Amino acid sequence: MHLRPFKQVDVFTAQAYLGNPLAVVLDGTGLSTEAMQAFTNWTNLSEATFVLPPTSEGRAAGADYRVRIFCPGRELLFAGHPTLGTCHAWLEAGGQPQAAGTVVQECGVGLVTLRQCGDRLAFAAPPLIKSGPLDEADVALIARGLGVARGDIVHHAWCDNGPNWRGVMLASAAHVLALQPDGAILAGLDVGVVGPRGKIGVIGRSDQEGIAFEVRAFFPGNNGLAEDPVTGSLNAALAQWLIGAGLAPAQYVASQGTCLGRAGRVFVEQDGDTIWVGGHSVTCMAGEVRL
Amino acid sequence: MSKRSYKQIDVFSHRPGDGNPLAVIMDGSGLPERTMRRFAAWTNLSETTFLLPPTEEGRAGGADYRVRIFTPSGELPFAGHPTLGTCHAWLQAGNQPHDPVTIVQESAQGLVRIRRQDETLAFAAPPMQRSTPNPALLALVSGALGLRPQQILAAQLLDNGPRWLSLLLDSANTVRGLLPDHARLKDLGQDVGVVHVAPTASDTRQPGVVVRAFAAPMGNPEDPVTGSLNASLAQWLIAEGLAPHQYLVAQGECLGRAGRVHITQDADGQVWVGGNSITCIEGEVLFP
Repeated sequence: MHLRPFKQVDVFTAQAYLGNPLAVVLDGTGLSTEAMQAFTNWTNLSEATFVLPPTSEGRAAGADYRVRIFCPGRELLFAGHPTLGTCHAWLEAGGQPQAAGTVVQECGVGLVTLRQCGDRLAFAAPPLIKSGPLDEADVALIARGLGVARGDIVHHAWCDNGPNWRGVMLASAAHVLALQPDGAILAGLDVGVVGPRGKIGVIGRSDQEGIAFEVRAFFPGNNGLAEDPVTGSLNAALAQWLIGAGLAPAQYVASQGTCLGRAGRVFVEQDGDTIWVGGHSVTCMAGEVRL
Repeated sequence: MSKRSYKQIDVFSHRPGDGNPLAVIMDGSGLPERTMRRFAAWTNLSETTFLLPPTEEGRAGGADYRVRIFTPSGELPFAGHPTLGTCHAWLQAGNQPHDPVTIVQESAQGLVRIRRQDETLAFAAPPMQRSTPNPALLALVSGALGLRPQQILAAQLLDNGPRWLSLLLDSANTVRGLLPDHARLKDLGQDVGVVHVAPTASDTRQPGVVVRAFAAPMGNPEDPVTGSLNASLAQWLIAEGLAPHQYLVAQGECLGRAGRVHITQDADGQVWVGGNSITCIEGEVLFP
């Protein structure tokens, strides 16, 4: 047991305490999987990460650092907000990428490329594992679980990129913000909800703040249904679905976490075949952890 | 922007990660309440505390420090694990209490004494009122916990600020095996504590009492280790002869923790609720 450098970073926000927090242990060397998992559970955050030197294979392929990502209860192969927050913490701690403007992260899914755009970082949305419309029975179940009429779900699609998100679109951001989901009905489901913020019926138009969509993410937490403040994986999959289906422009900003008192901002940008999912990060705590 | 010193403490714990974590801002002076609330929601820990100098009234009453205690959803007048963790952080920072053995903490509820014995701190259980629960509520809560009536040996509504509907159950396995319907408990708006006392509980070398705390209405379906509940439970169980005057509690097992709460009733009848604290994270926090 010794002291390791530690940061708690707020992700998808430029303003401290309005995003999704992430615990980053900047030197995870020598820690067992069990110790990483136990520390993650103890932090009570949606994710904690442990930075490691790249494997020799990863280094040969250009990795700048390696990270292991945990949520309470299990390890994740990839996740969006931990990727942005870890990269931010690594750069802030003096990490030097091999190529300027681009950082290569090694994690459970392999190598993930991040790019720096001004004071933001963005990751390339991983390919969808499952896409296309949801089963009608699922849509009906989700409508009941969200407490809306079936007809209020105007579009739906699988948004599975590791996390098994089922995506549904409601008519407006106001509908999304008013939801009071029933955890018993949605038990076991990862449900992402999106609604346009702009003029109702004109999908993909930005409102005065430049925000096109309001997003909420519901998932089975340790104890019943939980809501994630701001979700990288869901926003990546939503972007692939919505842009692909012509429901969103090639570049937009999504808002998430409003009902939890947060103001998460996710910057989406299509560039060729790649969709970049980005945001600001703010380091709120810096110190040492006994692990 | 201001930088303030910060500690994350594991309370009721003998090994980092075994207890209930607490975030402590070592100097909360000048922070607006909305900042405190926002920060406590962001840490997502069951409690976050802010150390302050005592008020004039508190100082006159002998207070060594003042603390404000927040959950992710609001402020508490008093709470047990934040009291022990905050006192530990305050002492570790080199502060000297007026009396080396008894520290006096001021919180919204008033003054609380904390006794220092070697590494362990214990707070004086605050006054508690108890009553027989409404049978209809008891039946609804039992249903949400999946309990049969014969598994419940005794039930009381305990109120020391937080109100816990408390159930003495027939075995440690019954306590450990509960899979409560948290959504139902949230709808009922009732925090629930369950406890079992083994016949060997007076031997404090091993935990002889097992406790679980369900607080879905407070946004915390199961609390890892709970000071206020253990305080009330001890006052009730000892007064009724259902537990010895000194015992050791295990809590948090179902969450992968190994919390340990030391209960002692002194010769004056005062119940003390104690535990060990470990500082796990130390650093600085940035406030806008």
